[in-house]
Amino acid sequence: MLKAFRSRWQRWVNQRIPRADQRVFGQRNIFILPTGAGVVFGGLLLIMLITGINYQNSLIYLLTFLLGAVVVAAMHQTHRNLSGLELTVIQAGEGFAGDMIPFRLRAVSPRHDSLAISLACDDSQLNQQHIASGQQEDVTLAIPSYQRGYLQPERILVETRFPFGLFKAWSWLRPVTSGIVYPNPIAAPDVISTVEDGEEQSQARSVDGNDHADIRPWREGDLSQRVQWKRYARTGEMMITDWEGEQGSPHWLDFDAFKGVDRELRLAYLAHQVMERARTNSRFGLNLPGQVIGPDTGAAHANRCLKALAIFGLEQPREGGPLPHGTRANENGKAAGSASFVGEGQA
Amino acid sequence: MIRRLLNRSRAAVSTQPAELVSGRALIWLIASFALLLVPQWDRLPIWLMASCAVLAGWRWLAQSGRVRLPGRWMRTGIMLVLVAVYIATVQGRFTVETAASFFVLAVGLKWLETRSVRDFYVLFFILVYLATVNFLFHQEIHWSVINLVGVALLLVGLQVVNAPDIPGAMKSGWRRLGMMLVKTLPIVVLLFVFFPRMAPLWSVPLVSGEARTGISDTMTPGDISSLAQSSERAFRVTFGGEIPAYRDRYWRGLILDRLVGDTWQQGFGQPFRRPGRVAVDGGVGELETDQYDVLMEPTDQTWAFALEDSAAVSDNVKRTDEGLFRFDRPADTAVRYRMELLNDGTSGTLAAGPESTRRYLQLPSSGNPRARSYGEELSARYDDPRAIVQQLLSRFREQEYFYTLRPPAMPDNGIDTLLFDVKRGFCAHYAGATTFVLRAAGIPARIVVGYQGGEPGADGEYLIVRQYDAHAWVEAWLPGEGWARVDPTAAIAPQRIEFGLREAVAEEGSFLENDWTSPQRYGDMAVLQWASLQLDRMNYHWQRWVVGYQGQSQMDLMSRLPGGIGMRELGYITAGIVGVALLLAGLITAWQYRRVESRDPYGRVVSRWHRLCDRSGVPVRYGETPSQLAARLSAAKPAVAGTATAFARMVNKHYYGREPDAGSQGELNKMKRLLATMKRQADRPSTSPSKG
Repeated sequence: MLKAFRSRWQRWVNQRIPRADQRVFGQRNIFILPTGAGVVFGGLLLIMLITGINYQNSLIYLLTFLLGAVVVAAMHQTHRNLSGLELTVIQAGEGFAGDMIPFRLRAVSPRHDSLAISLACDDSQLNQQHIASGQQEDVTLAIPSYQRGYLQPERILVETRFPFGLFKAWSWLRPVTSGIVYPNPIAAPDVISTVEDGEEQSQARSVDGNDHADIRPWREGDLSQRVQWKRYARTGEMMITDWEGEQGSPHWLDFDAFKGVDRELRLAYLAHQVMERARTNSRFGLNLPGQVIGPDTGAAHANRCLKALAIFGLEQPREGGPLPHGTRANENGKAAGSASFVGEGQA
Repeated sequence: MIRRLLNRSRAAVSTQPAELVSGRALIWLIASFALLLVPQWDRLPIWLMASCAVLAGWRWLAQSGRVRLPGRWMRTGIMLVLVAVYIATVQGRFTVETAASFFVLAVGLKWLETRSVRDFYVLFFILVYLATVNFLFHQEIHWSVINLVGVALLLVGLQVVNAPDIPGAMKSGWRRLGMMLVKTLPIVVLLFVFFPRMAPLWSVPLVSGEARTGISDTMTPGDISSLAQSSERAFRVTFGGEIPAYRDRYWRGLILDRLVGDTWQQGFGQPFRRPGRVAVDGGVGELETDQYDVLMEPTDQTWAFALEDSAAVSDNVKRTDEGLFRFDRPADTAVRYRMELLNDGTSGTLAAGPESTRRYLQLPSSGNPRARSYGEELSARYDDPRAIVQQLLSRFREQEYFYTLRPPAMPDNGIDTLLFDVKRGFCAHYAGATTFVLRAAGIPARIVVGYQGGEPGADGEYLIVRQYDAHAWVEAWLPGEGWARVDPTAAIAPQRIEFGLREAVAEEGSFLENDWTSPQRYGDMAVLQWASLQLDRMNYHWQRWVVGYQGQSQMDLMSRLPGGIGMRELGYITAGIVGVALLLAGLITAWQYRRVESRDPYGRVVSRWHRLCDRSGVPVRYGETPSQLAARLSAAKPAVAGTATAFARMVNKHYYGREPDAGSQGELNKMKRLLATMKRQADRPSTSPSKG
């Protein structure tokens, strides 16, 4: 019963607050209710009124009415504090599963100060954000992630209790933009993962990581000997090996290297390997079914590889769709979207 | 598995300790506490005040890190000690004072436990109620201001606790609070006027354990002279017509007719009264020329004071057989009642039957032999009781009797000593002696205690009768005339009756000699007098119109408005006021919201379009051009493709184009028409994909 009501309520809220990276809070989407303190204060006002009646004390009446009116004014003030606030997701962060993924939000309150705003998503909270009138304020909200994939926060709660804490006004921001959550790196039991390409197999085991080969897509004018035909046969991509050094070859981190291992685990192994290579600054490439990232070094490359691992086999969440990847709702198995990628690819 | 573990560890981390209250917020709470204790200064025991100061100070020092808050055992110890002291001092009495002390004690102890924001709220609630309780005890304007400022401090503190780190929190807090008060003041005033003043739901008398200054129902000769040292207000009177001459201002309060030893008492036991509250309000209707309004300070007694030959107009006072006036219940707060002067001498109509004759002739079986024989001698000499009274008064007038606030002690046979040896006394002495002699002479007589006189307040608007105007005089039963006033003081010190106590004891210099702080003591300082009277006037009107605005006044006021407004109508009006106020506030908010949105008519049309997109399941993205949005909308709802594209083109043209007709009315209308068409197309059920 309660569950049914809750899901109806969620649906209604989702309809009322469609996904958008930018939202101006106003009467249409701000909710307001008394807090616990507000309810107690209401009770206190009632007791004061009864005291006034029983002791026929006009001044107690006066105080009661005064405080009652101030409470109503405070309700409007709380509402007003949130209303007009404009919140935009300007950057969704990236990180490993289990980490807090930073989301950068820009807050602008054009008409008046919005004081003591708190942002919350799942367990993470950002309290006491003051947005001065007409100024833009960038805040970073770290959102916990639980598994690799797109992290599209179901709802970011935007709440304020200012000025008296007797009422809370809140709304939600439901961003379209997703953060990227890399697989949580797990060391593979055996180092069997590097697979060398073609002719260079014998020279392949280079541990020092000083390979100077590069793999790049085919360009006009490239010699046909240089095309990695084996790869072409497998993937249909024409790749060229650029030799810059005599020894060593690019290390390929290959999805197919872990036979019989669960897909998610494979990605975790690969992530670990990417991290290892990046740490030692070795040159490596990533070979995933349907996607190949040529050998390279550097942080940007590692990042690109991790991203590829993160979103491997997943679709970008549709806007408005209930695909709360990586959020707790999903973790608890409530959301329908979870089955779509956990199920497939398992041995 | 791993994930579950992760979850669990995160959940453990997220149970943060309760938010601690900031020092900036705490200081407001402490300031408010200190202020709200001020009105309690005269009823709280010193030790409690001191402990509260220590506890609150301790809390403050702990906040600034100089000391530590006590641990659990120490806290319990402090609590036990203080409660034990409380129980020892209270000794099982239950009065308003003990209840208030307990309340304050609880607040004081709470200081040591105030750590989190939640505790702050608990203290906030308690202190608000402390302000409420304060209003029960003090209703003067300055106490009210102190209370309201205390509550305002709390409200500023609440703002600080909810946003501790904003710059200029104090200034903006006051400004915000001030704006709220200004905006809501009309509603508060309307509610105050129209909220139905119901009868008490259940009666809880304010049982005070404290003695009030004022006349009492027994009189030993020294009593009233001690009262004469007080300049506290007894009551204030407004006359509809002319204020009677000073010598005629005899305010009768109660009758003492039974002499036991040297103490005069009320002859009959007072009837038992159910505890309850007095009706404090005598109405605000126009005063007729022969009427007067009395605003009496609390006495904790049922006596009402009235001039001779008065009748009750307001129904909160009742006339007794002795021609006195009584409330139903003890006046534990200020009470207003209305009287009427009759001018037909009806107060003397009481027939002295055998029973009451015996009552008013009662004398102790022994004592004061000389006064007794003097009375018998008078009775033997004159047949006419009037002559006896005259003879006695001329004795007072002609012989060397003195009216003094410093009479010598007269322990044995006091009346004899006064009449024949010392000849120095205060009104109570002379009234007692006169009654004694008259009774010995066979004339029924009684002592009346009340006030005589009263000074005009600011601009002579009303009379102020103070405790030093307390007076005792005699009424004697004269055949054919009834009860007649006999005032020996008038014979001995006519200035007292004509001008008041100040003049009467001017030579002696004993006027208010122990009351250094009273402005009345410094009668020759005109500025001081003026200021004190102006303050009194402010308080009088405050008392009369605000504090005293209760059931009867409300009904009087309502009866002047058209339409018979009764209790029920008042209820409707109140509900209406609240409803209209809420509606108005909502409308104003909505209007403010719209106003901003609608500065630019094009912008308004565009935002309507955005809302349409939102509704159609195509939320507007940040930084999206109109054309992109139109394309997405068209994808979602093919029916609107044409209009959406056209609309987007127009938006682009208006904002970014250089066409000569940009900004013309025709362009705007065209956009509106397009939007309307788009809406129709979007809402057509066949094309709208099923939602939710």
